[in-house]
Amino acid sequence: MAKQYLKRIAWVLSARFNVLMSLHRRCASILFASVMATAGLSHSQTLPLARASATPPAPASASAPQPTLKTAPASHTVAVINGGIELAQAEFALTGEIRPPGADTAWQTVTLPDSWRKLPRDRSRLGWYRLRFELASAPENPQAIYIARITNNIALYINGVLLGVSGNLKSREMSWNLAQLFVVPPRMLNAGRNEILIRLHPDGMARAGLARVHIGEEAEVRALHDRRLLFQSTAPKFIAALLALTMMLSIALWASRRQETVFGFFALLCLATIARLWHTFARDIDSWGWVIAAPSISWMMATQTYFVLRFCGQTSPRFERFTALFAVASTLILGFSSSASVVAVLFMFNTAVSLVMLAILGRALTRVPKLENLTLLLAIVINFSLAIHDLINYDERFDFDTLYVLPLGGPLLLFAMAILLIRRFVDVMQQHESLNAELASRVRDREQELAHSYERLRVLDQQRTTAEERQRLMRDMHDGIGSHLMSTLALTRLGSLSQHDMQEVLADCIDELKITIDSLEPVESDLLVVLGNLRYRLEPRLQAAGISLEWAVSDLPPLAYLDPGNVRSVLRIVQEAFTNTLKHAHARRITLSTGVDYSNARVFVRVTDDGVGLDSSKPPGRGLDNMKNRATKLHGSVECLSLKGGGTCVNLYLPMAKIA
Amino acid sequence: MPRVLIVEDDPAFRARYAAMLANDPSFEVVASVGTGGEGLAMLDLSKPDILLVDLGLPDVSGIEVIRHASRTLPQCECMVVTVFGDEEHVLASIEAGAAGYLLKDASEESFLSGIRELMNGGSPISPIIARRLLRRFHADSPGENIAVDKATDETSSVALSDREREILLLASKGFNYPEMGKLMGISPHTVTSHVKKIYRKLQVHSRGEAVFEANRMGLIRTL
Repeated sequence: MAKQYLKRIAWVLSARFNVLMSLHRRCASILFASVMATAGLSHSQTLPLARASATPPAPASASAPQPTLKTAPASHTVAVINGGIELAQAEFALTGEIRPPGADTAWQTVTLPDSWRKLPRDRSRLGWYRLRFELASAPENPQAIYIARITNNIALYINGVLLGVSGNLKSREMSWNLAQLFVVPPRMLNAGRNEILIRLHPDGMARAGLARVHIGEEAEVRALHDRRLLFQSTAPKFIAALLALTMMLSIALWASRRQETVFGFFALLCLATIARLWHTFARDIDSWGWVIAAPSISWMMATQTYFVLRFCGQTSPRFERFTALFAVASTLILGFSSSASVVAVLFMFNTAVSLVMLAILGRALTRVPKLENLTLLLAIVINFSLAIHDLINYDERFDFDTLYVLPLGGPLLLFAMAILLIRRFVDVMQQHESLNAELASRVRDREQELAHSYERLRVLDQQRTTAEERQRLMRDMHDGIGSHLMSTLALTRLGSLSQHDMQEVLADCIDELKITIDSLEPVESDLLVVLGNLRYRLEPRLQAAGISLEWAVSDLPPLAYLDPGNVRSVLRIVQEAFTNTLKHAHARRITLSTGVDYSNARVFVRVTDDGVGLDSSKPPGRGLDNMKNRATKLHGSVECLSLKGGGTCVNLYLPMAKIA
Repeated sequence: MPRVLIVEDDPAFRARYAAMLANDPSFEVVASVGTGGEGLAMLDLSKPDILLVDLGLPDVSGIEVIRHASRTLPQCECMVVTVFGDEEHVLASIEAGAAGYLLKDASEESFLSGIRELMNGGSPISPIIARRLLRRFHADSPGENIAVDKATDETSSVALSDREREILLLASKGFNYPEMGKLMGISPHTVTSHVKKIYRKLQVHSRGEAVFEANRMGLIRTL
């Protein structure tokens, strides 16, 4: 009972294993043996099961259909695979006809997979395989035939009827890597003996071969076929699509950053790899396809060399040139000759070159042990191992139907590239952040500096203004009240000053002082305030002299240049006009008016009196000269006119615009 | 008869004021003292109708004396006697409660007429002071008010009326009271009463500012 149970486990395990890992039958049998050993069964005990000459054990699941396939003891060697049977023996014949061989044909027994590679068969003829098996009963469901690998194309007959072809049989185009599935209608199979006849067309490179033939329930055999197809063709197709996408991204990256040639060469590597992958899923590859498929391995090597060296920031110009030349040379050679020996020699040469490449790239990548470098190195080493495996496989040192694995290694390079890009992105972001922080702190520092220098400038400016103001005040004191006081003192010392004169001189001094003080008040360019304040100061004296003042001012535009110094000048001029009137005119009435002379862009201040007017017999006094000098400094002018019917008019003109 | 207290540290000026007032029978000088301390004591003691005070006293500031007078003797007219009538001093005095100012170098007639004018409510206003006042009140126009919460009532009551603003504008252009009256179609007396109102508003205004400042500095917790 226990033995039966273990047997069933062993059967299930072996079946699963065959399905998943059909790539290495040898490994499989070793593992299979070890599983058996674990189960406590001797190796010999497993053999009858593998041969399946008896009814296979019932599947674990009750819903699984009972296999209807059985083999007659006289038939070829078969193995039971997951409800179907695997035909591992056939009879072989070589003819020149595309019709099935006649009864007189001499059949020769061969074991599948059968490769012509090491056999002296004529590649220009057609190979015939006859596989016989017995069924206990006619099947009720569609059956299917699955063949993992065919070189090149076949036509398949069941019981003498042509069931299908694997590709275009008219030319010698190639479909090496497509697993084949033929659906067999149940009516085509009989109870008892059945016969599969396969006509094999060798490929243009005179390679030929046939893997084991599986036949069984369609659903189950299709699953086998699909899994094989996945690893052999579909996965490489997906990888090619992935590489195509990555290539586009790389080109876009390179286009926007031309100096980063690593992206450009990565795009080329992707392209070479796609070219290499293409033949794994293409059907009926013609001679042009061959020129792409065969030398593409050299292109991969060349672009990989360029790419990896830029990836790790190294250079090796001579080796780069060499790989490029090698790629071109192998393309030319394979374009002219497709003989298996040339291919084999070139592939061996390829291997030698790639060994050198591995050494150079390994040294370059380990110089700086960064994660992305080591990942890339690992990817290259793994791909190299896969390539070696495939090279040996190509030489058919393994079974004919062993899977080629290099096409599955493509994503490893992408992985390394992704790590590089992520690293760079993170680095750039961090740099960006630290740069921003640095920038912010520098801006802060700069702002502080600016604030400091601004403050310094402000202080300097203030000091300068203060100094200027002091200078002006000093000048004022010196020329105005100072000299007034000095002359008063001198006159007093001479004793020639009456008390009345003394009072007058001192009053003048105080007026002078008041003008100086008033001029310090900011008037914001308003001349009327300046004049008004003068009036305010002078009114008591005018009243005391019995003179009435008519104030006939009108609004004036702002005069931007009215700083304290200029205000004092204006005040002095107008005051002088008043003083002259007070002293000499014997007037009863003074009028002060203002106005704008737009045509000359100036304003005027007019002081008129009804006094005696100017004495034309005497030259104009120093007072008028002073007024004129002051007005000139303000870029203005003063005129002094005698009015008809008595009286004087003093006009002060001042510019409206800013004075220099 | 108005009773006058003179607070002036310069003996010559003190003597001159006293002499000028003594010549006029309509005034009576109750005391003339030389320090702020004495001034404060005499204010409490003699309760004068008119205070003539110099700002540059040796001990207490004249401003303090004015403030004390306007607080304790509301009907007493405080007048500052200054050398120049400059804005800083005058405005500070008005804010403290002075009715106006006299110039130290004024003649006897203008000195006495100045006192009489001040008593009749005729505070003088120079163009520069008018301009300053315009600027100060303008800074408090609604929207940019400096006062907060309860101070708002006070500041709104011290905002200038259009009339007052016009008067300040004319004054800043140098027009005197009769001219302003003529230009505005009112009597000179009305103009002077407006000016007096402006001065009083400045006083309230400065108090409001002080309250606001104190509030801002956290000196006053509740109003």
